[in-house]
This record gives sequence, C-alpha cells and structure tokens, in this order.
Amino acid sequence: MTTSTKSTVTRTDGIGASPRRPDGTAKVRGEFAYSSDLWHEDMLWGATLRSPHPYARITGIDIARALALPGVYAVLTHADVPGVNRYGLEHADQPVLAEDVVRYRGEPVVVVAADHPETARRALERVEVGYEVLDPVTDAESAVAGQGAELHPGGNVVRHVPIRRGDPDAAAEVVVTGRYEVGMQDQAFLGPESGLAVPAEDGGVDLYVATQWLHVDQRQIVAALDLPEDKVRLTLGGVGGAFGGREDLSIQVHACLLALHTGRPVKMVYNREESFYGHVHRHPAVLYYEHGADRDGTLRYVRARIYLDGGAYASSTGAVVGNAATLGVGPYDVPNVSVDCWGAYTNNPPCGAMRGFGAVQAAFAYESQMDRLAAACGLDPVEVRIRNAMAQGTVMPTGQVVDSPAPVEELLRRVRAKPLPPEPSGEPDLRTLPGGVSNTTHGEGVVRGVGYAVGIKNICFSEGFDDYATVRVRLQVVGGEPAATVHTAACEVGQGLVTVLQQIVRSELGVERVTVEPSDTTIGSAGSTSASRQTYVTGGAVREACLRIRDALGALSPAELGDKVLDETVEWRHRPTEELHPETGQGNAHVQYGFAAHRAVVDVDTELGLVKVVALDCAQDVGKAINPQAVLGQIQGGSAQGLGLAVMEEIKTEGGVIRNPSFTDYLIPTVLDMPPMSIDVLELADPHAPYGLRGVGEPPTISSTPAVVAAIRAATGRALTRVPVRPEHITGT
Amino acid sequence: MIPFDYRRAGDAETAVAAVAGNPGAAFLGGGTNLVDHMKLGVAEPDLLVDVTRLPFDSVDPLPGGGLRIGAGVRNSDLAADERVRTRYPVLAEALLSGASGQLRNLATTGGNLLQRTRCGYFQDVTTPCNKRRPGEGCSAREGYHRYHAILGASPHCVAVHPSDLAVALTALDAVVRVRGPRDGHGERAIPAAELHRLPGEHPEWDTVLGHGDLITAVDLPPLPMAARSRYRKVRDRASYAFALVSVAAAVELTGDVIGDVRIALGGVAHKPWRATLAEAALRGRPPDRAEFRAAAEAELADAQPLRDNRFKVPMARNTIVSVLAGLTGEEPR
Amino acid sequence: MRLNVTVNGRPRQADDVWPGESLLYVLRERLGLPGSKNACEQGECGSCTVYLDDVPVCSCLVAAGQAEGRQVRTVEGLAEGDRLDPVQQSFVDAGAVQCGFCTPGLVVAAHDLLRRTPRPSDEEIREALAGNLCRCTGYEKILDAVRTAADAS
Repeated sequence: MTTSTKSTVTRTDGIGASPRRPDGTAKVRGEFAYSSDLWHEDMLWGATLRSPHPYARITGIDIARALALPGVYAVLTHADVPGVNRYGLEHADQPVLAEDVVRYRGEPVVVVAADHPETARRALERVEVGYEVLDPVTDAESAVAGQGAELHPGGNVVRHVPIRRGDPDAAAEVVVTGRYEVGMQDQAFLGPESGLAVPAEDGGVDLYVATQWLHVDQRQIVAALDLPEDKVRLTLGGVGGAFGGREDLSIQVHACLLALHTGRPVKMVYNREESFYGHVHRHPAVLYYEHGADRDGTLRYVRARIYLDGGAYASSTGAVVGNAATLGVGPYDVPNVSVDCWGAYTNNPPCGAMRGFGAVQAAFAYESQMDRLAAACGLDPVEVRIRNAMAQGTVMPTGQVVDSPAPVEELLRRVRAKPLPPEPSGEPDLRTLPGGVSNTTHGEGVVRGVGYAVGIKNICFSEGFDDYATVRVRLQVVGGEPAATVHTAACEVGQGLVTVLQQIVRSELGVERVTVEPSDTTIGSAGSTSASRQTYVTGGAVREACLRIRDALGALSPAELGDKVLDETVEWRHRPTEELHPETGQGNAHVQYGFAAHRAVVDVDTELGLVKVVALDCAQDVGKAINPQAVLGQIQGGSAQGLGLAVMEEIKTEGGVIRNPSFTDYLIPTVLDMPPMSIDVLELADPHAPYGLRGVGEPPTISSTPAVVAAIRAATGRALTRVPVRPEHITGT
Repeated sequence: MIPFDYRRAGDAETAVAAVAGNPGAAFLGGGTNLVDHMKLGVAEPDLLVDVTRLPFDSVDPLPGGGLRIGAGVRNSDLAADERVRTRYPVLAEALLSGASGQLRNLATTGGNLLQRTRCGYFQDVTTPCNKRRPGEGCSAREGYHRYHAILGASPHCVAVHPSDLAVALTALDAVVRVRGPRDGHGERAIPAAELHRLPGEHPEWDTVLGHGDLITAVDLPPLPMAARSRYRKVRDRASYAFALVSVAAAVELTGDVIGDVRIALGGVAHKPWRATLAEAALRGRPPDRAEFRAAAEAELADAQPLRDNRFKVPMARNTIVSVLAGLTGEEPR
Repeated sequence: MRLNVTVNGRPRQADDVWPGESLLYVLRERLGLPGSKNACEQGECGSCTVYLDDVPVCSCLVAAGQAEGRQVRTVEGLAEGDRLDPVQQSFVDAGAVQCGFCTPGLVVAAHDLLRRTPRPSDEEIREALAGNLCRCTGYEKILDAVRTAADAS
C-alpha cells in the first residue's frame, strides 16, 4: 500500500475543509428522495400484522376474510416464505413471519399488499390469529440465571464474555460499590422504516430501501427468498437517520415477498408507533460495580457484572456484550480486572445496535463509580480520572497494548479549563430556566451543578471480523474537464459520508468534479455504516483507489488523460483484530479506540425536580478532521442523544409491552433542551489509520450521559443510579 | 380507520342536527386530537362534521367587562390576544405551554377542552380500558401509571385530563356555552369547572355534554384579580410535553392578607381540579410560604396516589407553593 | 371525494380522495409533493409543517377535506427557481442538514419565524422551533442557520 500523504493537494474543498454537502440543496428544497418518498406506477402498499402478545403460541391463522376484501392482492404467512424462515445479524434466530411461537409484542405474523394503505390496514384487521398466551420472560438477570421459559434452543444467554486480568483477589484501601441501571433508549431516527420492492422480469426483485448495510440485508433476503444473490438487487433509498436502528431488517424481506407474490411493486412505510416495534433498541442494562483504590485514588482493581437485555432475538447482542465487557472499566489504567457481561434473551422488544453500542451502558456505571471514588478519597472528580487515565502504551483489560494516542488526560483538562457559563443574575429569561417557557421556575430552589465524564469506544468492527470496504473510482476527462466518480455500497445515513468521499478524491487526485454514485449491490460490500467506521474504512478504500489511479497516471495530470479512463476497484481492510479468549477475554480485539470528554453544567429546581442543562462542553480527539463542520455536527448530535438518555429518553415496557410508542410519550430533546456547546477537536494522528483519522460518531454519545448525571448529583446530592433521571428521582418522592 | 363521511357544516343548527341524528357522528375542530385518535383506532366515527368554518372565530367583549371566546378561535390566536395577555395572563400562559406552535395554530378553544386523555392504555386498542370500552377494566390501575390521577379517581379509571387551557379556565370561573339538540335555537351555560367530570362508574364520559352538544363559546368573567395570575406546568421536557402537574392560580391581596384566591390543578385528576379546600384555607391569611404549604397540604390530604406516581403529591404541593409565592411577591417577578 | 386546493400558488385537484386521508398524504401521494415529511404522522415532530392559509400547521393532522379551497405552501414552494430562500441557503451553508428528514419542517418553521420576527433573539428562535424535532444535529447548527438567514434577509 502506498502511504505517502505528502503529495495530497491542499484544496478548499478537499480533506480538512468543510465543503457543502452534495445532497444539501435537494434536502432543503424537499426534493431529496427518501425511501418513504418512492413511488411507482401500479404500486401496492404493504402492511404488517404484529403479535399483540409478548409471548404466545400461535394456534391458527385464518386469512380468508382478509383475502376477500376488495383491493387486497396478497395475504402472506410463514408458509409463503420460500427459503429459510430465519434471519439475523449474528444468529439466524428470527422468523421472517412467525410460525408457531411469537416472542415479542410486535413480532410480524402476516403481511398484506393492497391498493391503498388504508385497505391494507383493514385487511390486517380481518386476519384472525389464534394465540395461546404464555408467561413472558421480562427480566434479563433472572433469564441469565435460568429462570423462566427457555425462549431459544440452548437457553436464554445469548453471550457471556468474561474479562480476567491480573489478580482476581486484589484488595484495596478504598472500596466503592454501586448498582446502576440504564433504561431502554430508542434511536428515534425521524425517517420511518420504508422501501419499495419492484419485481423484475428475471424472477428477481429490486429493492430500494433505507438501511445501514446493503450487503448484509441482501445476504438475509436471499436466504429467505431462496434466490441467488444476483436476483436480489438493493439500492439505497434516502435514509432519514439510523443510529444503529437500521442494522437489522425491517420491511426488506416482507416487501420483496409481497412484490414477488403479486408481480407488482410494493411500498411499505411504517408509522411511528410501528417504528417503535419495528426496529431494535439500545439494550437496557443492570450493572454491578466494585472499584478498589489506594487512598490517593489510584485504582487497584475493578470488578463488574453487567446484564444486558437483548430481548426476543439476538440481533447484534453478542457484539454489544463484547463491547460492554472489553470497555467495561472505561479509559483507565487498571491492573486487576474481573468483568463478566451477559446478554440475555427475554420477551422484551429485541435490542441491538445503537450509537455507542455497549459502551454507553458501561460508561454510565464506571463514570458514576469514578465520582463515588473521588468522593471517598476526598478528590476532585477530574483529578481522580486524570490519576487513572489511560494513555498510549496502556495495557487494556484484554491485554491489548494501546498503540496510538489516547489523550484522556488532555481531554479532561481541556473541558475543565473551559470558562463556566455565568451564574444566572438579574431578570432571568424563562426559557433559560428549568422547565422552560412553561413558566415553571423562577429561580427559587434552583441549584447549579457541574459534572464531568470521559468515555472510550472501539472504532470499526472488532473481535476478528473481516472488516473491509469495496470501492470503485474512475477518472476521465468529461467535457474537457477531469472528473472522477466514486461507487460504493456504503450507506449515507445523514452523517455526510458522501461529502467526505468527495473530499478525499479531490485531495488525492486534484480534481474538482467528483460524483458519488448511488449506493447499491452491483459492487462489493462496504460494510456497515456503524461503529464509527465508514470514514475510516470506506474512506480508506477510496484513498487507496485514488493512490492506484495516481500511480497509473504517472507523470500526467488528470486533465491530460485524453480518452483514457482510469478505473480502479479496491477492497480495503483495516489491520486484523483477534477474537477474545473465551475464558479470559484476552486478545487484541479492537483496531482503534476513540475518546471524548464532557463537562455538563446544570441548573436543577430541587423542589420540582426539573433540570436545565446550561452547558455541555466537549473535547474529542478525531485524529484528523476530514470535514470539521461534519465533525462538529457529529459531536453536537451525539451529545444531544446522550443528554436525552440522561434526563428524558426511555422506552417503558410493562410485561414486555412498550407503553410509550410515540413522540409524545417517548421524549427526545427539543431545541429548548439542548444548550450551546463549546467543543475542542483534537487531531492527534493514529499512525495506523488513513490520514491518521479516528472514528467520530459514537464517542460523544458515551460521555455526555454520565456528565449530565454527575452535574445533577453535584446539584442535588442524590445518588441517581438510574438513567434517565426523572423529576421524582431528584425530589426523592 | 373505519370508513367515514366528511361534511362541512354551514351553520351551527345543521351541525348539531347532523351529529345528533347519528350516534356515530362527531364534530371535527382543529383535528389535532381527533384525527390522531382516528389513526390509532381509538376513535371510530362514521361521520365527521367539520365545524371550523362556523362563525365562532372571534374574541369579543361582553357587557360588564368579560370576554367571549368563540369555540373556533385557534389556541395561538387566543394566546396572542392582547386582552387575554394582560387581563388573564394565566390563560395565555396555559395555552403557550401546550403542544407546539404548529399545533396551536390548528387547535381550537372548544376542541382543546374536549381533548381526551393521554393514558397509554386508552390509546392502545389492544388493552382493556373502561374509557374506550366500558366494562373491560382499567389496565392503568396496576400498570404503567406514572402520569395518572392522584385525586378523584375511581376503581374504573385513573386517567387524567390533558388540557392546559381547561385548567386555566377552571381557575378563572369561565363559563362554557353549549348548543345541543334539545336547546332549540338557544344555548345553555355550563361553568368550566363543571364541564369535565370525575370518572366514577362511567369513565367513558369525559364531560357532562351529551351527544350532539356543540361548544360555541367560552365566556370569561370580568375578574380583575386575574390580571395577577399565572400558569405553571411541570413536565419531563422543556416544551411539547404533557403535564405531570400544573397549577393555574390568581391571587388578590387585601391589605396584608389574601383577599381572594383561585387555584386549579392539572395533571392530577380526570378533570381540572379546582382546589377549593386550599382556597378556603388561604382566604384572610397572610401570604407566606408556610400558609401556602398548609393550604396545599389541605387540598392534597385526600390524595390517593398509585404505586408509581406518589411523587405527584409533593410535586403538586411544591408547585402550588411556588406559584403562590411568585404571585404574592415572595420571589423575583 | 374531490379536493380542490391551491398549492404553492397553483390550483390543484385530487380525485377519489378518501376522507380519512390527511393533507400530508394528499400532498405526498396524490400531488407529487413528498417534500413535507412523514416522521410521526401524529403532530409530534413538525416534519410535515406547511403553511395553511399562511399559518404553519402540522399537515398530518389536517383532514383532507379541511383543506378544501384553501392555500397551501410547502417546502417545495419556498425557492424561486434555482434561487433558494435565504433560510434554505443558510441551512445548507451552516451544516444544519444531516439526514435532512426534519429539514423541510424546520425550514418552513424558520421561514415563518423570520417573516414575523426578522431579527429574532436566540430564545425566540428556540421557542419558534420547539415544535420541530431533529435527531441528528443537536440543533446547534440549525440555530446558526437561522441566525445567518436573519442577517442575510
């Protein structure tokens, strides 16, 4: 591989700049085609009948009355799935359509296609499904302990990862313990699950869909449809946000089934309630921690047991467990570590990927513990963190030696050094006080608090996964001007990958005109848009393709190409990682770590339990900011999601049933809830990564939550061991 | 949604007749609640009679100094009305604390009063709910009921009324004007505090209105003390969220003591809760926090919170204290 | 039923409209204007915000029949030809657009704010946009965009 970056061209629209998004104009005009905007002559509307029970045996399905409804073209059950009626990211354990058992409320049982969405909905009402209701398993900890029904062959533990390092019996002068809980968070992307499946003359199907990984969708669809790969072609529809929630299948197989069955294009769009049932969520967690330290705060050991509720199907629970375990002590240098993390099957909604992916849950616990340790040692919370901060060269609990910058101390010092917001004085604007414009608080009983947190996240896929991206770059002269095109299957979900890929080509090839073609499966996989990995991996692949084109150009400039077309397709992978040892959890499992630190300042109305986050400042190392504006956008957006988890976001389940599947009852931050942010972006190059860059998207989501909660603790003196923190947790009633 | 017809009413008489003559018919105002409920399958009218083009869209002075608010006046217009803002600030504040700008632009005065509960079980048609299907049972009583009632509930229903406007109107002694199928060309008047009812044996009835009764206006009395009034809403998010607890209050000081006081609570009961016990305890008493607290506790003495909403009792108490302290100059503004 | 409505200055007609359809559905599926978005369809997110007779509303909760004979202006009607409205331009320039699903609703809401209040304070901007959820940006760059648009107009 050519590694020289010296000859890259400095341009105002290349790497390090913040050119406009190529899709920005279409998006502000309302002309960008999201997957829910697609339309086809003669298309039908698909709809899904879902289980009303968290756990039940299906005693019968009668579709006759639904089929008889005028305007209905297909009513399909598991019997109509031609291939394997199982799919899943890690284990194929989830039925495309339920057969004999439903394992969660919302599990798809029947799909229909009709001429109008309302006709489809009415058809669903006419399907009769008999259920024998069973006792659901709803608690992850007892599921791991073997209590309750066995939901899948082999038991209810999806994965257990132990991490053992150093002396398992290490003792310490100061010991702090805690039990922490993290509620179930929703990705709450705004664009609902949707897509359009168009049957093709060759007996195959073309699917236009919003997803995070076209090829992993394709792999699962062809298995269910029993078709060869070349008969199921996917093209990315416009994606209205993802945050992990589009890693698993939603409408994909259903729409294709209906299209193939009816011979008509079929569009499916979930509404918001269905969306809450139709995608996985962040694993709720219960975490038990014990930290032992010297009197000066130096950590001696950390012991932890972490229970993640995976819900009814595995999804990516295994990898989430791996993250929570390997990152379970946080960005600290700890000589003796004993962590056990379990992911459980229950009859709760399936949980899987969400921004931060296992690191979020652990961070709330270990950062809460660090504050307890600081208090026990009489230390400043930042001081105790700096005393234990990991750095380049630190040996992780997995035995992995950190071989690139890990500026944990500097990030903490930076957020601490930022000026604090002014204390409220004089006539306050109601909108700036806890409770906002609702006129809730006028300053009486309002206490200010400041809290800190720092977090760690693995970047890219880990544990030996063959993580690569395929990219094709072509360079030719068009209309007298050199022009490059980039083709990948990588999914732009809003983060700005299309801009970043253009920037890389501009810098590497010195051409201004760069077109990023629609993402589809006519090219090889680019891997998932997750794990903060696309700029690293697909960006790295684009760079590699450009370097090969430069080699082919030789002494020519792009404008001197004439009729020649330089065309390079590369498959680029980051350096390999290793599996974890099954008993000790040792191994070089991660390719790169990312770090961010936050300082939160809150005003708390202690009488009413209301919180206003006044400031949420952040420092993050990104290695190299390929697009500084997009980097800030990731930090701001990620921090907002962390704030949401801290003070308002939770899917409430009761006996496995979601009780708040709407944006009125599941609250995400509005513009009135988000404070201004002061952000420091560090660029300490990772010598192993393209351009030295470090994945950006997830770290800010991780430290934001514990920082906000620490600030509320500082203001109230309450223990606050559960997120989201509710008014009643603050008032103590 | 089940199939239904849509009709635009030309005048109140035809609108009332159209709904009264069809047990499956409903009036349609701004639609912000009803259309949502139709999508959820909670409401299944077979005829919608659109009343938004009836001539009930103005705020007019009443002889004697009050104001008549047309039932079709949009929440945003009402909140912006200068007379309302200066003479009845509690009303403007209540309106602005509800929903979002885009919804306030649609929502009408009458429709706001008649919005239905946000109880999750009421909205989930797969669960039993006495309000949706009488006799089925109440899922909330033993279920997820953090948002539910602490006052005046019955074994059959623990839902709360979600309107902010209704709480303010209750505190203001407003009067709701109704035209029904039996009222001929006339109208009848119902005190705002009596419009909504407690659930009792019949939680399916939110209000005392009968089928075909159309709210045409709300009258505000000329209440000078309302110039010193306030609405406070405690909720899980800074905007665009329903109340955990809200308080509408107005206070008049006579010398060193409270001459008159109006207090209504939201988010605590099946109806806006006029805090008559607290009011009685406060009249003639000095305006200090100890008195406010004692009065609030008197009002809440009979509170029967559920497993997950015990916090509402002290929250309501503290909010009452805070609002009264603010109105009587115990704090800035 | 047949629906007559003026959209972005043009009289439009939709036939066979079912009364249960929302104005949003009619715009998106019958009139070829999918710019207004369907993020919640329950009036909880603001992504479907359009002007109805010059007042911004959630079009998902307007029953189709209620729009009869009225004026609707959608996000598609803000630009003049290739020239973006200053609000649209500043959203692109400020990096206020990520996934963009909230953008049409926010652009209309911000457009309305600046018509009424050409020089809004930050608090006024926040209050005006509190009915529009965004999940990507944390709102910071949206505030930047509205400030910039206010300066530009």
